[in-house]
Amino acid sequence: MKMIVVFEKSPRLRHIGHLDLMRAMQRAMRRSGLPLRYSQGFNPHILLSFAAPLSVGMPGQREIMEVPIEGTMTEAAFSAMLSPALPPDLPLLSCRAVPDEHPAPMALLAAATYEARFQDVPSGLGDAVERYLNQPEIPALRKTKSGEKPCDLKPMIYGLTLTGDTLRMTLALCEAATCKPDLLLDSLFSFAGTARPRALITRTALWGQEGGCFKPLEAL
Amino acid sequence: MNDAEKARLEELLEKVQKPAQYIGGEMNAVQKPWDSVKTHFAFCFPDTYEIAMSHLGMKILYHLINGKEDAACERVCMPCADMADLMRKENVPLFSLESRAALNHFEIIGFTLQYEMSFTNILEMLDLGRVPVLAADRTEGDPIVVAGGPCAFNPEPLTPFIDAFMIGDGEDVMHELVDCIRDGREAGKPRLDILRALAGLEGVYVPCLYEATYHEDGTLASFSPTDPAAPAVVKKRVVKDLSAAIYPDSIPVPYTEIVHDRMVLEIMRGCTRGCRFCQAGVLYRPVRERSMERLLELADKLQKSTGYEEMSLSSLSSGDYSCLPELIRALMDQYKDKRVSVSLPSMRIDNIVKQSLEETQKVKKSGLTLAPEAGTQRLRDVINKGVTENDLIRAVTDAFECGWSSVKLYFMMGLPTETDEDLQGIGRLAKKVVDAYYALPKEKRAKGVRVTCSASVFVPKPFTPFQWAPQDTIEQVREKQAALRQYLKLKCVNFNWHESPLSMLEACICRGDRRMGRVIYEAWKLGCRLDGWSEHFRFDLWMKAFEACGLDPAFYAYRERPYDELLPWQFIDAGVSQRYLMLENERAKADKTTRDCRHGCNGCGLQSWGVCDFVEHPPLKDKEPAQAPIFD
Ligand code: SF4
Repeated sequence: MKMIVVFEKSPRLRHIGHLDLMRAMQRAMRRSGLPLRYSQGFNPHILLSFAAPLSVGMPGQREIMEVPIEGTMTEAAFSAMLSPALPPDLPLLSCRAVPDEHPAPMALLAAATYEARFQDVPSGLGDAVERYLNQPEIPALRKTKSGEKPCDLKPMIYGLTLTGDTLRMTLALCEAATCKPDLLLDSLFSFAGTARPRALITRTALWGQEGGCFKPLEAL
Repeated sequence: MNDAEKARLEELLEKVQKPAQYIGGEMNAVQKPWDSVKTHFAFCFPDTYEIAMSHLGMKILYHLINGKEDAACERVCMPCADMADLMRKENVPLFSLESRAALNHFEIIGFTLQYEMSFTNILEMLDLGRVPVLAADRTEGDPIVVAGGPCAFNPEPLTPFIDAFMIGDGEDVMHELVDCIRDGREAGKPRLDILRALAGLEGVYVPCLYEATYHEDGTLASFSPTDPAAPAVVKKRVVKDLSAAIYPDSIPVPYTEIVHDRMVLEIMRGCTRGCRFCQAGVLYRPVRERSMERLLELADKLQKSTGYEEMSLSSLSSGDYSCLPELIRALMDQYKDKRVSVSLPSMRIDNIVKQSLEETQKVKKSGLTLAPEAGTQRLRDVINKGVTENDLIRAVTDAFECGWSSVKLYFMMGLPTETDEDLQGIGRLAKKVVDAYYALPKEKRAKGVRVTCSASVFVPKPFTPFQWAPQDTIEQVREKQAALRQYLKLKCVNFNWHESPLSMLEACICRGDRRMGRVIYEAWKLGCRLDGWSEHFRFDLWMKAFEACGLDPAFYAYRERPYDELLPWQFIDAGVSQRYLMLENERAKADKTTRDCRHGCNGCGLQSWGVCDFVEHPPLKDKEPAQAPIFD
């Protein structure tokens, strides 16, 4: 069976990159004494996959990984073994046992919510957000391996609201289309005609889709 | 740090390279609530995080101090240049990884002195941490700055900056020092009285209680205490029973990659072989082994607490551990299902048994490193490196047969009595290693042999038989390097060498006197720091600093010192007597070797300390005075 694990990457660890985070998780798994599964091959490593890598500099409130294990065990037993093996800044929030056939979280991923907390909110930003969303098309330049490519952000924005000093963005995140928060913020502020202020961007949720509705990824 | 400083730090972290090294929060890092303890100890490693976190001594003392109920130990590392500059610009003090407390908020600041080229970092760290750099400028509220580690055996160059040095093994004296400072502060004693109390602890040297005078020619004329609290001779501390000594069973596991990212088991301390250039061999005498039982227990706990996938055995000469094959077998047994690989560093070529090679291979095949140090048997005899060419060829042949194909050979250039013949010998030896590979049938060897020869520049060190020797000049070294490059223009052979200006500076500082502190201060003022990093090393500024202080580097590095000269470190008793070192130096001049004292005590001086297990092997001629070495 496998466990779908929800954990937090706390703000203190936001400068840790994805590969480092993965290594830290693998070591935590090894400390835990859980019946892990290993890859085949010359240099076997623990089977463990993250729903979506988190960029350097970004904390994540509800990150998700999938941990295949040997045999079966209860969710409570699993978390009792893993929790103490995790560093204090990577706490386990919940876990859910699913059969091996269950699709990988990565395959179900559709969108993510991010919150940008601004140090100084530019005046009129609320209005700008509204006008920004009312455009028939939101053209932007997306950086790809083969240079910059024009694209339309509009279909990739599922939600954009400003509350106080925090801009909440729900953006497409899947193989077919991804809009990174940086791309959106650059586009938004160039539309608003103001410099982009410093902000701490946190990924707060990962979403999948069921029957045309977004559902928390771990619940799918 | 206050909240404003913390907020500024967060902004800095977004601007610097490799910010992850400044965040702390690692698994097993110990973070005690600040107000829950009386004594806060900042363990400072004067180099960057990736090096600091690879260092065993820091882990031992971190564990030891945090094991004390009323003390907390937090780690502080040297920031990289970009971070240091920004901290200064934005007025963010140097801080600890655990509590992000500014350095000047600690009661005790402790530096570990591993290599001379980290010394300017000490000044930089104190200054960034808002602690007066000069000990003389510190007042009642300021932290007490202490230091220990191998370079503390000649503490003189650092005396302007350090309040107290700990000489020798740190485990016991650290307890005493922390308690002594705590008691002193609790009793409201003035700073000087606390320092005087520290001077009363065995193995502690408080430099402000001593005075040095100099002859007109610049040599030391006298050195003595100026205070009755200070002993004339400071004796190094020795932990007698390593199995009973404290050792961490859990260590912080870094998030980012560091130089040695694995668990380390110190299996033994000290070395009996007596290589004459080797300072560690003298400083860490006598040899003490940690019991296999204890090692296996620690290995198990460490694995469980860290989750590391690799473990290495550490000591000056792991091959000498009395039951190494048994230990490796037992470790492998214990780790069989846990997928932990075991690697053996610093093996000496004369005791690599094929059996251990085969066993390491089963676990992990890292590169094979061998250190013949010199190219001819004559010079190896001079330095007492008890290794023959046959040993070396046998060892590499075994290794090639076991599947190794890349071998690193370490040599030293500029050893006393070295001639061109010895350099040519390095070339011949490298060639023979390559030949040994091709002598094996194709199906018995791995593909693609690679022999890497590294030649460092010999630096005469205090407390070695060569402590009186002159170093080759930078020009001499450059000529030798050029010659060696020719001799090593061979198929399948690479050659690496070290920069000679750095080695020259090392020679000056490691055998320096108190006045060298002025040079270090001046160099730092001129902008020197991170000298161990080639991109930051500024030889020109160091030379300016010497000039500004009216001191000549040649006086420290290139001068042969007579036996009757008072040496700046002579007041420190490392157990091995000056007389023994002299006799060894004379034997070197006569190309005579001295046996490994595992096979019989040579009377190095430690025999009267009651700490050396090998003394019981009776000296060959017991009529001789105790100090006289007895040789094969
Ligand atoms: S006392 Fe004797 S046996 Fe011990 S380290 Fe010295 S020479 Fe070797």
